[in-house]
Amino acid sequence: MDKKTLLENGLLEQYVLGELNTEQCEQIEQLLASDVELKAHFDQLEADFENLGLENAIPPPALVKSKLLKDLKTTPNETPKVVTLNKNNNTKVYLGIAASVAALLMIGSFWMYSQLNDVKEQLQIVEMNNTELNSTIEVLNVKLKENNASFNAIINPDTEQYILKGNALSPEAKVVSYVNHKSKSVIINTERLPELDADHDYQMWADVEGEMINMGVISKDKTIMTMAYIDDAESLNITIEPLGGNDHPTVERLVTNVYLR
Amino acid sequence: MQNDNSLIRDLKAKDERALSLLYDKYSGAIYSVILKMIRDEGKAQNLLQDTFMTVWEKAERYDETKGRFYTWVYRIAKNKTLNVLRKTDVLIQTDDFSVHTNKEDAISIEPEYLELNGAVTTLDAHHKEAIELVYFKGLTHKEAHQQMDVPLGTFKSYIRQALKQLRETYAKSLSLILLILNAL
Repeated sequence: MDKKTLLENGLLEQYVLGELNTEQCEQIEQLLASDVELKAHFDQLEADFENLGLENAIPPPALVKSKLLKDLKTTPNETPKVVTLNKNNNTKVYLGIAASVAALLMIGSFWMYSQLNDVKEQLQIVEMNNTELNSTIEVLNVKLKENNASFNAIINPDTEQYILKGNALSPEAKVVSYVNHKSKSVIINTERLPELDADHDYQMWADVEGEMINMGVISKDKTIMTMAYIDDAESLNITIEPLGGNDHPTVERLVTNVYLR
Repeated sequence: MQNDNSLIRDLKAKDERALSLLYDKYSGAIYSVILKMIRDEGKAQNLLQDTFMTVWEKAERYDETKGRFYTWVYRIAKNKTLNVLRKTDVLIQTDDFSVHTNKEDAISIEPEYLELNGAVTTLDAHHKEAIELVYFKGLTHKEAHQQMDVPLGTFKSYIRQALKQLRETYAKSLSLILLILNAL
Protein backbone atom coordinates (compact mmCIF):
# COMPACT_ATOMS: atom_id res chain seq x y z
CA MET A 1 0.00 0.00 0.00
CA ASP A 2 1.38 3.41 -0.90
CA LYS A 3 0.28 6.99 -0.53
CA LYS A 4 -1.36 7.16 -3.92
CA THR A 5 -3.61 4.10 -3.49
CA LEU A 6 -4.43 5.31 -0.03
CA LEU A 7 -5.73 8.61 -1.33
CA GLU A 8 -7.44 7.26 -4.44
CA ASN A 9 -9.19 4.37 -2.75
CA GLY A 10 -10.67 6.53 0.00
CA LEU A 11 -9.00 4.27 2.57
CA LEU A 12 -8.20 7.23 4.78
CA GLU A 13 -11.91 8.03 5.08
CA GLN A 14 -12.70 4.43 5.88
CA TYR A 15 -9.88 4.47 8.42
CA VAL A 16 -11.33 7.49 10.17
CA LEU A 17 -14.78 5.89 10.16
CA GLY A 18 -13.32 2.73 11.69
CA GLU A 19 -14.26 0.43 8.81
CA LEU A 20 -10.82 -1.17 8.36
CA ASN A 21 -9.32 -4.30 9.91
CA THR A 22 -6.33 -4.24 12.24
CA GLU A 23 -3.77 -5.06 9.54
CA GLN A 24 -4.95 -2.23 7.28
CA CYS A 25 -5.02 0.13 10.21
CA GLU A 26 -1.42 -0.64 11.11
CA GLN A 27 -0.27 -0.04 7.50
CA ILE A 28 -2.04 3.31 7.41
CA GLU A 29 -0.66 4.33 10.79
CA GLN A 30 2.88 3.56 9.55
CA LEU A 31 2.36 5.68 6.43
CA LEU A 32 0.91 8.53 8.47
CA ALA A 33 3.83 8.48 10.85
CA SER A 34 6.36 8.69 8.03
CA ASP A 35 4.62 11.16 5.69
CA VAL A 36 4.01 14.69 6.96
CA GLU A 37 1.92 15.75 3.96
CA LEU A 38 -0.31 12.69 4.28
CA LYS A 39 -0.64 13.35 8.02
CA ALA A 40 -1.74 16.93 7.31
CA HIS A 41 -4.37 15.62 4.88
CA PHE A 42 -5.52 13.11 7.46
CA ASP A 43 -5.71 15.77 10.19
CA GLN A 44 -7.89 17.87 7.88
CA LEU A 45 -10.15 14.88 7.22
CA GLU A 46 -10.56 14.19 10.92
CA ALA A 47 -11.32 17.85 11.61
CA ASP A 48 -13.98 17.81 8.87
CA PHE A 49 -15.61 14.71 10.28
CA GLU A 50 -15.55 16.24 13.74
CA ASN A 51 -17.13 19.47 12.48
CA LEU A 52 -19.78 17.41 10.72
CA GLY A 53 -20.52 15.61 13.95
CA LEU A 54 -20.59 18.72 16.12
CA GLU A 55 -22.86 20.54 13.66
CA ASN A 56 -25.35 17.71 13.93
CA ALA A 57 -25.13 17.36 17.71
CA ILE A 58 -28.30 16.52 19.57
CA PRO A 59 -28.05 17.28 23.31
CA PRO A 60 -28.72 14.07 25.23
CA PRO A 61 -30.98 14.20 28.32
CA ALA A 62 -29.16 15.35 31.46
CA LEU A 63 -30.17 12.06 33.08
CA VAL A 64 -27.59 10.17 30.98
CA LYS A 65 -24.72 12.23 32.35
CA SER A 66 -25.85 11.99 35.95
CA LYS A 67 -26.23 8.21 35.57
CA LEU A 68 -22.78 8.03 33.98
CA LEU A 69 -21.12 10.01 36.77
CA LYS A 70 -22.98 7.97 39.39
CA ASP A 71 -21.85 4.72 37.73
CA LEU A 72 -18.23 5.91 37.70
CA LYS A 73 -18.28 5.78 41.46
CA THR A 74 -19.35 2.12 41.40
CA THR A 75 -17.02 1.08 38.59
CA PRO A 76 -15.78 -2.45 39.40
CA ASN A 77 -12.05 -1.65 39.25
CA GLU A 78 -12.29 1.54 41.24
CA THR A 79 -14.45 1.73 44.29
CA PRO A 80 -16.36 -1.50 45.02
CA LYS A 81 -13.84 -2.68 47.58
CA VAL A 82 -14.12 0.63 49.37
CA VAL A 83 -17.89 0.45 49.19
CA THR A 84 -18.04 -3.10 50.54
CA LEU A 85 -15.50 -2.18 53.19
CA ASN A 86 -17.66 0.76 54.13
CA LYS A 87 -20.66 -1.55 54.35
CA ASN A 88 -18.61 -3.95 56.44
CA ASN A 89 -17.49 -1.07 58.57
CA ASN A 90 -21.09 -0.02 59.04
CA THR A 91 -22.15 -3.52 60.02
CA LYS A 92 -19.06 -3.74 62.22
CA VAL A 93 -20.04 -0.49 63.85
CA TYR A 94 -23.61 -1.69 64.36
CA LEU A 95 -22.39 -5.07 65.62
CA GLY A 96 -19.99 -3.25 67.92
CA ILE A 97 -22.78 -1.08 69.28
CA ALA A 98 -25.05 -4.09 69.73
CA ALA A 99 -22.25 -6.04 71.44
CA SER A 100 -21.47 -3.12 73.74
CA VAL A 101 -25.13 -2.77 74.65
CA ALA A 102 -25.38 -6.51 75.28
CA ALA A 103 -22.18 -6.44 77.34
CA LEU A 104 -23.45 -3.48 79.36
CA LEU A 105 -26.75 -5.26 79.95
CA MET A 106 -24.92 -8.41 81.05
CA ILE A 107 -22.62 -6.48 83.37
CA GLY A 108 -25.64 -4.60 84.67
CA SER A 109 -27.51 -7.87 85.27
CA PHE A 110 -24.53 -9.40 87.05
CA TRP A 111 -24.14 -6.31 89.16
CA MET A 112 -27.83 -6.29 90.06
CA TYR A 113 -27.71 -10.04 90.79
CA SER A 114 -24.74 -9.63 93.14
CA GLN A 115 -26.49 -6.64 94.72
CA LEU A 116 -29.60 -8.80 95.22
CA ASN A 117 -27.47 -11.52 96.86
CA ASP A 118 -25.81 -8.95 99.11
CA VAL A 119 -29.17 -7.58 100.13
CA LYS A 120 -30.46 -11.12 100.82
CA GLU A 121 -27.42 -11.85 103.00
CA GLN A 122 -27.84 -8.59 104.83
CA LEU A 123 -31.54 -9.34 105.33
CA GLN A 124 -30.61 -12.75 106.80
CA ILE A 125 -28.12 -11.12 109.15
CA VAL A 126 -30.70 -8.56 110.18
CA GLU A 127 -33.27 -11.32 110.76
CA MET A 128 -30.74 -13.26 112.85
CA ASN A 129 -29.86 -10.15 114.83
CA ASN A 130 -33.55 -9.50 115.28
CA THR A 131 -34.14 -13.00 116.64
CA GLU A 132 -31.12 -12.67 118.91
CA LEU A 133 -32.37 -9.34 120.14
CA ASN A 134 -35.83 -10.81 120.75
CA SER A 135 -34.41 -13.69 122.75
CA THR A 136 -32.13 -11.28 124.59
CA ILE A 137 -35.15 -9.16 125.40
CA GLU A 138 -36.98 -12.26 126.68
CA VAL A 139 -33.98 -13.20 128.79
CA LEU A 140 -33.70 -9.63 130.02
CA ASN A 141 -37.41 -9.57 130.81
CA VAL A 142 -37.09 -12.76 132.84
CA LYS A 143 -34.05 -11.33 134.59
CA LEU A 144 -35.83 -8.04 135.14
CA LYS A 145 -38.78 -9.85 136.71
CA GLU A 146 -36.41 -11.84 138.88
CA ASN A 147 -34.45 -8.75 139.77
CA ASN A 148 -37.64 -6.84 140.49
CA ALA A 149 -38.85 -9.67 142.68
CA SER A 150 -35.50 -9.78 144.45
CA PHE A 151 -35.38 -6.02 144.76
CA ASN A 152 -38.91 -5.85 146.14
CA ALA A 153 -38.10 -8.63 148.52
CA ILE A 154 -34.91 -6.88 149.62
CA ILE A 155 -36.43 -3.43 150.13
CA ASN A 156 -39.45 -4.86 151.94
CA PRO A 157 -39.55 -3.32 155.49
CA ASP A 158 -40.12 -6.76 156.98
CA THR A 159 -36.93 -8.10 155.45
CA GLU A 160 -34.01 -8.70 157.77
CA GLN A 161 -30.43 -8.65 156.51
CA TYR A 162 -27.87 -11.20 157.75
CA ILE A 163 -24.24 -11.20 156.62
CA LEU A 164 -22.37 -14.52 156.44
CA LYS A 165 -18.66 -13.92 156.84
CA GLY A 166 -16.11 -16.50 155.75
CA ASN A 167 -14.25 -18.51 158.45
CA ALA A 168 -10.63 -19.69 158.32
CA LEU A 169 -11.46 -22.09 155.47
CA SER A 170 -12.55 -19.23 153.20
CA PRO A 171 -11.65 -15.93 154.82
CA GLU A 172 -12.56 -13.71 151.88
CA ALA A 173 -16.07 -15.14 151.51
CA LYS A 174 -19.00 -12.84 152.26
CA VAL A 175 -22.65 -13.66 151.52
CA VAL A 176 -25.52 -11.26 152.26
CA SER A 177 -28.84 -12.94 153.01
CA TYR A 178 -32.29 -11.26 153.12
CA VAL A 179 -34.82 -13.12 155.20
CA ASN A 180 -38.49 -12.19 155.44
CA HIS A 181 -40.24 -14.18 158.09
CA LYS A 182 -43.68 -12.84 157.13
CA SER A 183 -43.59 -13.78 153.48
CA LYS A 184 -41.23 -16.68 154.29
CA SER A 185 -38.60 -15.93 151.67
CA VAL A 186 -34.81 -16.06 151.59
CA ILE A 187 -32.71 -14.22 149.00
CA ILE A 188 -28.91 -14.30 148.99
CA ASN A 189 -26.18 -12.28 147.29
CA THR A 190 -23.26 -14.61 146.47
CA GLU A 191 -21.18 -11.99 144.72
CA ARG A 192 -18.28 -12.33 147.16
CA LEU A 193 -18.18 -16.14 147.35
CA PRO A 194 -14.82 -17.43 146.04
CA GLU A 195 -15.08 -19.57 142.91
CA LEU A 196 -15.03 -23.36 143.33
CA ASP A 197 -13.53 -26.03 141.08
CA ALA A 198 -15.79 -27.80 138.58
CA ASP A 199 -16.35 -30.82 140.95
CA HIS A 200 -17.89 -28.90 143.88
CA ASP A 201 -20.83 -26.66 144.76
CA TYR A 202 -21.74 -24.47 147.71
CA GLN A 203 -24.84 -25.69 149.50
CA MET A 204 -26.92 -23.79 152.08
CA TRP A 205 -28.39 -25.32 155.24
CA ALA A 206 -30.79 -24.18 157.98
CA ASP A 207 -30.14 -25.35 161.57
CA VAL A 208 -33.45 -26.30 163.22
CA GLU A 209 -33.03 -27.64 166.76
CA GLY A 210 -29.60 -29.15 165.93
CA GLU A 211 -30.66 -30.64 162.62
CA MET A 212 -29.30 -29.29 159.29
CA ILE A 213 -32.04 -28.92 156.70
CA ASN A 214 -31.22 -28.36 153.03
CA MET A 215 -32.01 -24.88 151.69
CA GLY A 216 -30.65 -25.52 148.17
CA VAL A 217 -27.51 -25.65 146.11
CA ILE A 218 -26.05 -22.21 145.29
CA SER A 219 -25.92 -21.69 141.54
CA LYS A 220 -22.51 -20.84 140.10
CA ASP A 221 -23.81 -18.41 137.43
CA LYS A 222 -26.13 -16.26 139.55
CA THR A 223 -25.17 -13.65 142.07
CA ILE A 224 -28.71 -13.05 143.46
CA MET A 225 -30.81 -16.13 144.07
CA THR A 226 -33.78 -17.31 146.11
CA MET A 227 -33.29 -20.14 148.57
CA ALA A 228 -35.86 -22.27 150.41
CA TYR A 229 -37.27 -20.72 153.61
CA ILE A 230 -37.16 -23.05 156.56
CA ASP A 231 -39.42 -22.39 159.59
CA ASP A 232 -37.80 -21.96 162.99
CA ALA A 233 -34.28 -21.87 161.58
CA GLU A 234 -31.73 -20.78 164.17
CA SER A 235 -28.80 -20.24 161.85
CA LEU A 236 -27.85 -20.22 158.15
CA ASN A 237 -24.82 -22.29 157.07
CA ILE A 238 -22.91 -22.75 153.78
CA THR A 239 -20.75 -25.81 153.12
CA ILE A 240 -18.71 -27.06 150.19
CA GLU A 241 -20.27 -30.21 148.80
CA PRO A 242 -19.66 -32.49 145.80
CA LEU A 243 -21.18 -31.22 142.52
CA GLY A 244 -24.99 -31.21 142.63
CA GLY A 245 -25.25 -31.01 146.42
CA ASN A 246 -25.48 -33.52 149.28
CA ASP A 247 -28.18 -35.07 151.52
CA HIS A 248 -26.23 -34.25 154.68
CA PRO A 249 -23.83 -31.39 155.18
CA THR A 250 -20.10 -32.05 155.27
CA VAL A 251 -19.55 -30.07 158.47
CA GLU A 252 -15.77 -30.15 158.13
CA ARG A 253 -16.15 -27.99 155.04
CA LEU A 254 -18.37 -25.29 156.49
CA VAL A 255 -17.16 -21.95 155.16
CA THR A 256 -19.54 -19.53 156.87
CA ASN A 257 -22.56 -19.27 159.10
CA VAL A 258 -24.75 -16.69 160.83
CA TYR A 259 -27.24 -16.92 163.70
CA LEU A 260 -30.73 -15.57 163.17
CA ARG A 261 -32.19 -13.40 165.96
CA MET B 1 -6.77 21.22 21.01
CA GLN B 2 -4.47 22.33 23.82
CA ASN B 3 -7.41 22.27 26.12
CA ASP B 4 -8.38 18.79 24.95
CA ASN B 5 -4.85 17.52 25.49
CA SER B 6 -4.72 18.54 29.11
CA LEU B 7 -8.25 17.23 29.69
CA ILE B 8 -7.28 13.89 28.15
CA ARG B 9 -4.20 13.72 30.35
CA ASP B 10 -6.46 14.28 33.37
CA LEU B 11 -8.92 11.71 32.05
CA LYS B 12 -6.16 9.11 31.87
CA ALA B 13 -5.32 9.99 35.48
CA LYS B 14 -8.97 9.09 36.34
CA ASP B 15 -10.11 12.65 36.92
CA GLU B 16 -13.92 12.67 36.86
CA ARG B 17 -14.01 16.40 36.12
CA ALA B 18 -12.11 15.79 32.87
CA LEU B 19 -14.61 13.14 31.81
CA SER B 20 -17.45 15.49 32.67
CA LEU B 21 -16.00 18.31 30.51
CA LEU B 22 -15.19 16.02 27.58
CA TYR B 23 -18.70 14.59 27.82
CA ASP B 24 -20.16 18.09 27.68
CA LYS B 25 -18.13 18.81 24.57
CA TYR B 26 -18.69 15.60 22.58
CA SER B 27 -21.78 13.79 23.92
CA GLY B 28 -24.15 15.74 21.63
CA ALA B 29 -22.32 14.79 18.43
CA ILE B 30 -21.94 11.17 19.55
CA TYR B 31 -25.56 10.93 20.71
CA SER B 32 -26.70 12.21 17.32
CA VAL B 33 -24.73 9.48 15.51
CA ILE B 34 -26.02 6.74 17.82
CA LEU B 35 -29.62 8.00 17.49
CA LYS B 36 -29.48 8.09 13.70
CA MET B 37 -28.08 4.56 13.65
CA ILE B 38 -30.34 2.83 16.16
CA ARG B 39 -33.46 5.04 15.90
CA ASP B 40 -34.48 4.39 19.48
CA GLU B 41 -33.99 7.08 22.12
CA GLY B 42 -33.90 4.71 25.09
CA LYS B 43 -31.34 2.41 23.51
CA ALA B 44 -29.37 5.41 22.24
CA GLN B 45 -29.13 6.84 25.76
CA ASN B 46 -27.91 3.52 27.15
CA LEU B 47 -25.35 3.25 24.35
CA LEU B 48 -24.17 6.82 24.95
CA GLN B 49 -23.66 6.10 28.63
CA ASP B 50 -21.96 2.80 27.80
CA THR B 51 -19.67 4.59 25.30
CA PHE B 52 -18.47 7.13 27.83
CA MET B 53 -18.07 4.43 30.46
CA THR B 54 -15.72 2.68 28.02
CA VAL B 55 -13.96 6.00 27.42
CA TRP B 56 -13.45 6.26 31.17
CA GLU B 57 -12.27 2.69 31.64
CA LYS B 58 -10.09 2.45 28.52
CA ALA B 59 -8.76 6.02 28.45
CA GLU B 60 -5.14 4.90 28.67
CA ARG B 61 -5.56 3.04 25.38
CA TYR B 62 -6.24 6.26 23.49
CA ASP B 63 -3.11 7.33 21.56
CA GLU B 64 -3.27 11.01 20.61
CA THR B 65 -0.53 10.57 17.97
CA LYS B 66 -2.86 8.33 15.95
CA GLY B 67 -5.81 10.66 15.75
CA ARG B 68 -8.29 13.00 17.41
CA PHE B 69 -10.10 12.15 20.62
CA TYR B 70 -13.45 12.66 18.90
CA THR B 71 -12.55 10.06 16.25
CA TRP B 72 -11.66 7.55 18.94
CA VAL B 73 -14.94 8.08 20.81
CA TYR B 74 -16.89 8.01 17.51
CA ARG B 75 -15.44 4.60 16.67
CA ILE B 76 -16.29 3.21 20.12
CA ALA B 77 -19.89 4.47 19.86
CA LYS B 78 -20.28 3.17 16.32
CA ASN B 79 -18.97 -0.31 17.18
CA LYS B 80 -21.20 -0.60 20.24
CA THR B 81 -24.26 0.51 18.25
CA LEU B 82 -23.47 -1.87 15.38
CA ASN B 83 -23.15 -4.74 17.88
CA VAL B 84 -26.60 -4.01 19.26
CA LEU B 85 -28.07 -3.65 15.75
CA ARG B 86 -26.52 -6.94 14.63
CA LYS B 87 -27.97 -8.83 17.59
CA THR B 88 -31.40 -7.34 16.96
CA ASP B 89 -31.15 -8.10 13.24
CA VAL B 90 -30.27 -11.74 13.85
CA LEU B 91 -33.21 -12.13 16.20
CA ILE B 92 -35.63 -10.45 13.82
CA GLN B 93 -34.40 -12.41 10.82
CA THR B 94 -34.63 -15.80 12.50
CA ASP B 95 -38.04 -15.04 13.94
CA ASP B 96 -39.87 -13.28 11.18
CA PHE B 97 -38.57 -11.85 7.92
CA SER B 98 -41.46 -9.45 7.44
CA VAL B 99 -40.56 -7.53 10.58
CA HIS B 100 -37.12 -6.75 9.25
CA THR B 101 -38.50 -5.07 6.13
CA ASN B 102 -40.84 -3.04 8.28
CA LYS B 103 -38.02 -1.90 10.52
CA GLU B 104 -38.01 1.60 9.08
CA ASP B 105 -41.57 2.11 10.29
CA ALA B 106 -40.97 0.76 13.78
CA ILE B 107 -39.02 3.69 15.10
CA SER B 108 -39.45 5.26 18.49
CA ILE B 109 -37.79 8.60 17.82
CA GLU B 110 -38.61 12.21 17.03
CA PRO B 111 -38.36 12.60 13.22
CA GLU B 112 -36.26 15.77 13.59
CA TYR B 113 -33.51 13.74 15.24
CA LEU B 114 -33.00 11.96 11.91
CA GLU B 115 -32.60 15.18 9.94
CA LEU B 116 -29.16 16.55 9.18
CA ASN B 117 -28.08 20.07 10.01
CA GLY B 118 -25.35 22.48 9.12
CA ALA B 119 -23.04 22.49 6.14
CA VAL B 120 -23.98 18.96 5.08
CA THR B 121 -27.45 20.24 4.09
CA THR B 122 -25.94 22.50 1.46
CA LEU B 123 -24.50 19.47 -0.38
CA ASP B 124 -25.97 17.89 -3.50
CA ALA B 125 -28.52 15.21 -2.59
CA HIS B 126 -26.32 12.24 -3.60
CA HIS B 127 -23.30 13.66 -1.77
CA LYS B 128 -25.40 14.26 1.29
CA GLU B 129 -26.81 10.74 1.15
CA ALA B 130 -23.36 9.19 0.81
CA ILE B 131 -22.11 11.04 3.88
CA GLU B 132 -25.27 10.20 5.81
CA LEU B 133 -24.93 6.48 5.06
CA VAL B 134 -21.31 6.03 6.15
CA TYR B 135 -21.11 8.66 8.84
CA PHE B 136 -24.50 8.70 10.50
CA LYS B 137 -25.99 5.31 9.65
CA GLY B 138 -22.83 3.31 10.27
CA LEU B 139 -22.78 1.55 6.94
CA THR B 140 -19.47 0.49 5.42
CA HIS B 141 -18.47 1.86 2.04
CA LYS B 142 -19.36 -1.53 0.53
CA GLU B 143 -22.82 -1.61 2.08
CA ALA B 144 -23.45 2.04 1.26
CA HIS B 145 -22.61 1.83 -2.46
CA GLN B 146 -24.96 -1.14 -2.76
CA GLN B 147 -27.65 0.79 -0.95
CA MET B 148 -27.22 3.76 -3.32
CA ASP B 149 -26.88 1.38 -6.24
CA VAL B 150 -23.72 2.99 -7.62
CA PRO B 151 -20.28 1.42 -8.20
CA LEU B 152 -17.91 1.48 -5.22
CA GLY B 153 -15.46 3.77 -7.06
CA THR B 154 -18.23 6.27 -7.78
CA PHE B 155 -19.38 6.13 -4.20
CA LYS B 156 -15.85 6.82 -2.97
CA SER B 157 -15.60 9.86 -5.20
CA TYR B 158 -18.99 11.06 -3.83
CA ILE B 159 -17.49 10.96 -0.37
CA ARG B 160 -14.31 12.72 -1.47
CA GLN B 161 -16.22 15.49 -3.25
CA ALA B 162 -18.67 15.86 -0.39
CA LEU B 163 -15.83 16.29 2.07
CA LYS B 164 -14.11 18.81 -0.21
CA GLN B 165 -17.28 20.87 -0.41
CA LEU B 166 -17.80 20.67 3.32
CA ARG B 167 -14.27 21.87 3.90
CA GLU B 168 -14.86 24.85 1.67
CA THR B 169 -18.02 25.70 3.55
CA TYR B 170 -16.25 25.42 6.88
CA ALA B 171 -13.38 27.56 5.55
CA LYS B 172 -15.90 30.16 4.37
CA SER B 173 -17.69 30.27 7.69
CA LEU B 174 -14.32 30.42 9.40
CA SER B 175 -13.22 33.39 7.23
CA LEU B 176 -16.63 34.95 7.85
CA ILE B 177 -16.08 34.66 11.57
CA LEU B 178 -12.57 36.08 11.16
CA LEU B 179 -14.03 38.93 9.08
CA ILE B 180 -16.62 39.69 11.77
CA LEU B 181 -13.95 39.50 14.44
CA ASN B 182 -11.77 41.89 12.43
CA ALA B 183 -14.68 44.24 11.90
CA LEU B 184 -15.24 44.31 15.63
